[in-house]
Amino acid sequence: MQISTEELPGGITRVALDGRMDIAGAAVVDLKMNLIAGSAKKLLVDLRKVTFLGSMGLSAIVFPARAVKSRGGKVVLFAPNEMVESVLKTSGIGTLIPVCHELDAAIAELG
Amino acid sequence: MTGHGPSSPEPRLTLKSQLEDLTRVWPWVEAIAARYSVPPDTQFAIQLCLEEALSNIIRHGYQGQADQPISIACTVECAPAAVENEHAAELVFTVEDHAPPFDPLARSAVPAPAPASLQELQPSGRGIRLMRKFAGRLTWQQLPNGNRLTMGFVLTR
Repeated sequence: MQISTEELPGGITRVALDGRMDIAGAAVVDLKMNLIAGSAKKLLVDLRKVTFLGSMGLSAIVFPARAVKSRGGKVVLFAPNEMVESVLKTSGIGTLIPVCHELDAAIAELG
Repeated sequence: MTGHGPSSPEPRLTLKSQLEDLTRVWPWVEAIAARYSVPPDTQFAIQLCLEEALSNIIRHGYQGQADQPISIACTVECAPAAVENEHAAELVFTVEDHAPPFDPLARSAVPAPAPASLQELQPSGRGIRLMRKFAGRLTWQQLPNGNRLTMGFVLTR
């Protein structure tokens, strides 16, 4: 599991996750996700390269997202594959955090 | 799953009740998936349901006690749909533990409503909902000294 960040125009922090967000993957990204969430105002979580998402992996995304939103920030989940999106929908997260498949739409959501 | 030659995956995996041990499950599932040509989406569903079931056992069944036994067996059976399609097969995973009786399915007989906001979100409770969605068949049985959870995934229709 890999995690990288990039600052986009408009004060958007893009966090790209790459790999399997299972229990081991969640442990790898958990600390860094929380550090990013501690300062980001507009967070784009790029899920394009996430090949698996379990509930521990979900927690590693959702609780940092909650921290951002609780400070008045915005979060969007970007381009999950079909199965990952199904996990988001089934767990109810898909209705609480916007999910966008186009980058323009994701950026507009954070605007 | 016997008699398939030396390259066949082991039919049973024995774990200890610690989250670190769950890293052994994915290679095992991958080997089974390769052996039975399991489609990627079904492989995802199997891994998801096993991870949820096993983490439930560790956290709720054994209540965090490490070094307790958990076993997973994998068999291929005729799917219930076999009446309509004689080629239907089901990959069945049977997870057994020695924890006190713990029926994960009863806990959500009435599923908790989805959280209305992120602030209401709880760190647990999503696993059963995910298993119900992604496993084709899900049953729990109390054993004399533990629990048995059976999950079935139809391979062909």
